[in-house]
Amino acid sequence: MPKKIKRNYLINLIGLILLFLVFYAVFESGIFGSRTNYFMGIATTACYTIIMVTSLNLLVGILGEFSLGHAGFMSVGAYASAIFTNALVDSGMPRLLLFILALLIGGIAAAITGVLVGIPTLKLRGDYLAIVTVAFAEIIRVAFTNFEITGGGRTMSGITKLSNFYWVYWVMVVCVAFMYMFIRSRFGRTVKAIREDYIAAAASGVNVTFYKVLVFTISAFFAGVAGAVYAHYITAMIPTTFNFNYSAEFLTEVIIGGTGSMTGSVIGAAFLSILPEMMRSFATYRYLGYAIVLVLIMIFRPKGVFGGWEFSLTGVFSGLRKRGSKSGKGDE
Amino acid sequence: MSIFIQSLINGLNQGAIYALIALGYTMVYGILRMINFAHGDFIMVGAYTLFYTVPMMVNHGMPAWLAVFVAIVVCVIVGVLVERIAYKPVRNSGSISALITALAMSLFLENLAMVLFGGNPKTISKIFDLPMIELLGAKIQVKYLLTLGIGLVIMVALTLFVRMTKIGKAMRAVPQDREAATIVGINVDRIITVTFAIGSALAAVAALMYCSTYPRATTDMGTMMGIKAFIAAVLGGIGIIPGAMLGGILIGLIEIFVKVYLAPGWYEAITYAILIVVLLIKPSGILGKNVSEKV
Amino acid sequence: MKMKKWLSTALALSLAATAVAPMTALAEEEEDYIIKVGVICAMTGGSAVYGEGAQNAINMAVEEINASDSEYTIEILNNGNVADDAKDATEAVNAYNSLMAEEPEAIVGSFFSTPTLAMAELAADDGMLLLATGATNVNVTLTGDTIFRNCFIDPFQGEMAAQFASEQGYTSAYVIYAKDDDYSNGLKDAFVESAEALGIEIAGVAECTTTDTDFTAQATNAVASGADFVFYPCFLDTVPLLVQQVRDAGFEGAIMGGDGWDGADTTGYEDYFDNCYFTNHYSSEDTSESVQNFVTKYTEAYGTDSLNACAALYYDAMYMLLQAAEDGGDSDTESLVAGMTEMEFSGVAGDIYLDENGDAIKPVVVNTYEDGQIKWLMTIEPAE
Repeated sequence: MPKKIKRNYLINLIGLILLFLVFYAVFESGIFGSRTNYFMGIATTACYTIIMVTSLNLLVGILGEFSLGHAGFMSVGAYASAIFTNALVDSGMPRLLLFILALLIGGIAAAITGVLVGIPTLKLRGDYLAIVTVAFAEIIRVAFTNFEITGGGRTMSGITKLSNFYWVYWVMVVCVAFMYMFIRSRFGRTVKAIREDYIAAAASGVNVTFYKVLVFTISAFFAGVAGAVYAHYITAMIPTTFNFNYSAEFLTEVIIGGTGSMTGSVIGAAFLSILPEMMRSFATYRYLGYAIVLVLIMIFRPKGVFGGWEFSLTGVFSGLRKRGSKSGKGDE
Repeated sequence: MSIFIQSLINGLNQGAIYALIALGYTMVYGILRMINFAHGDFIMVGAYTLFYTVPMMVNHGMPAWLAVFVAIVVCVIVGVLVERIAYKPVRNSGSISALITALAMSLFLENLAMVLFGGNPKTISKIFDLPMIELLGAKIQVKYLLTLGIGLVIMVALTLFVRMTKIGKAMRAVPQDREAATIVGINVDRIITVTFAIGSALAAVAALMYCSTYPRATTDMGTMMGIKAFIAAVLGGIGIIPGAMLGGILIGLIEIFVKVYLAPGWYEAITYAILIVVLLIKPSGILGKNVSEKV
Repeated sequence: MKMKKWLSTALALSLAATAVAPMTALAEEEEDYIIKVGVICAMTGGSAVYGEGAQNAINMAVEEINASDSEYTIEILNNGNVADDAKDATEAVNAYNSLMAEEPEAIVGSFFSTPTLAMAELAADDGMLLLATGATNVNVTLTGDTIFRNCFIDPFQGEMAAQFASEQGYTSAYVIYAKDDDYSNGLKDAFVESAEALGIEIAGVAECTTTDTDFTAQATNAVASGADFVFYPCFLDTVPLLVQQVRDAGFEGAIMGGDGWDGADTTGYEDYFDNCYFTNHYSSEDTSESVQNFVTKYTEAYGTDSLNACAALYYDAMYMLLQAAEDGGDSDTESLVAGMTEMEFSGVAGDIYLDENGDAIKPVVVNTYEDGQIKWLMTIEPAE
């Protein structure tokens, strides 16, 4: 078995490198002409959105609790990393190192917030937990509006632009891979057991508290990383960006993709990042169209486009070999 | 002292408006266990209806507040349509799907309003021409008292309706066991439609009272107000009718007093912090019943 | 880590789908006397009223310019539509990139500081001419040499309001400002500083947010503070609410704001607006030809719904680009920047001189209200 898993990882790594090369070739060859920057920008946006959505899916799909305040963690990561790079940008540190450190700082800051939010809210479940996450995100927003170091309610601008698509792609790959492995690990299976029946899980000796806080922390960490990518891509931000609507957007992307499906999160996030751009020509009708698409998806695919299904590259190969037998394996 | 009384009055008024909105959330949540995030946008629909109908009423020599009946009709139609078209198909797909549909409907209504009415905020003509009374140096608008009064009347009426009438009893049966309710002959679809109709009618009344204090309609007015009112409903104990009233009034008072005496820049944070503390002490809200979970 | 291929197909397909149209329109141009302009403003969300005004104003300006006998014409990219930034930095970056794909010679926008600051960074890198219309944050034009603006910068309006208050003999001011907004913060800071320097006592500074509707708490405190002047530097959507609530709380002194007030609806509350003032770029009462032409034509075509400072600034921006092309001698970006640098321009929003940063130095108009109608009160020329 371990051998097979190793082989699977290798195949997937090769697949990811190939995909990267495709992007690289497409963007560098300039076949999109003057649109290259536009598409690269959207692809970058899609990458950090994917990190956000997969990290939220850890909470929603694996732990079975939903959060409507994920943008709060994102803003913690964004501001922490931006303050960090602003302080060190002139230190002559290599750009890539600075970028990686900024991502870690953003992630750690958000993870600490995640612990702080996670511990007190453990008693709560379902809708009540969701509303408390809203409350926490709003408190973070108000705090950042009031702190001088985060701009004191003004736009924090002039953040060094470190996020370019090629780097962000690999950041996204590493983040998603880590989360995927977490889900597949012993920890991940335990968390799923808690989701299915937390009383039974507790009765069989699982430390429910520990696992819940753990998932919250990991989820917040990656949201913070995504925030750091955001800050160093957009370069100008104001706390009001990270509002309820932004959090709601992430949750929507999780559900549209399919709860618990990493594939769904990745594609849901990519699709919904691109959708508003495809609708640019509709001008004022843009978000009207977006809303209609959302409602239609919910009506016709209420479990999300991918449900709990996971795409698997090796699955495709074995499927091709078997011809006609099932090509992908369900996650649960 | 006069500042204190003035703030008390202002807080009660703002709280009563939150409470009116929270009642709508609580009605729908109590029956469907669904957070209807589009409820705030029903109020927006009501406000725009008032913007167009209040001058019409005045021109025909009728009292302006009669416009609320037009608003009720419009809101009920919108509410029931939203329920039938968008919510019903996802009803059995779990609470998160329903929540996302509600968020999408909210986005839809806001953008539809923008296309229909434009982005310019609309100022709504005066609805009540009521005097102001001075009490201990504080200025009390009579319409404030009216808002509070309407809130209380609706709260009592709803409680009686749910307790006493046949439909009300059916309403209470549906959330407990939807299948069993069907077996004993309750038309669940009809009950849910009635619930939405009542919730939307409440939104129209809330719009009237909101617009008499804050005479302005914007396409995005529903979002912020909706969240605050929802928080109020949760604070009081969601699904419980007097809880919504209590939660609304508390949030209104807290906001005003924090703004006057503590730190105006932090008032939202303090409100949310209080909500968190209350939920941690009593997870089902102030008036909520703690239900122990079945093993 | 088993899922990337789907992403690739999905992404590539959707990207390819949007890419069908691009190549056709990109024929290299000689001197064609066409200034290609991309315009950005908030078309959706809570600030869409500004986008509406911007769209109407550029339609009007472009129609006029193209019908005039100037050798240059203006072409608005994106099929003549304003690209939407929804007042959001990410959307603004995407809007900017989408316009850049059509190879513009200048970009006009945006109206708010946050999206503009994000775009300014890109424009500075690309060497693209960015003419900001309402972004008042001081840092906007400092980002690069190709970035200009035709609106006031934050400190200026705050200073002017303080000067006005002092000249009118007000002695004690109470400031209510939105904590979560650049414009409001900027005006507040400048006002407080200048007012104190001019000997006006600051009786209190109260915060609110851009989404607030209830100001009764701040109003109560303002009245209790004994101030005779309230400064409220926020946008038009909350102005009627604030004025009404402050007056209802028993405040009888002056209430003043900045150009964000222009376009605020006074219907039904006309008497509340007596003794209210705001600084602006122009006055609709101004008898000068450009202002009258703008106001009349706009009202005829689109009504007064979105006739505000934003519309005037976008309108002027088109004429500024035209003049920049005429002065610079060509319609490419480089000539436009050359024409724009230290430009002297006369339009709806006054006589402008663009200083070495690219900031507009221009007189400020103080308007007041009479029966809810805007009345010109005075024009203050900029110092030095």
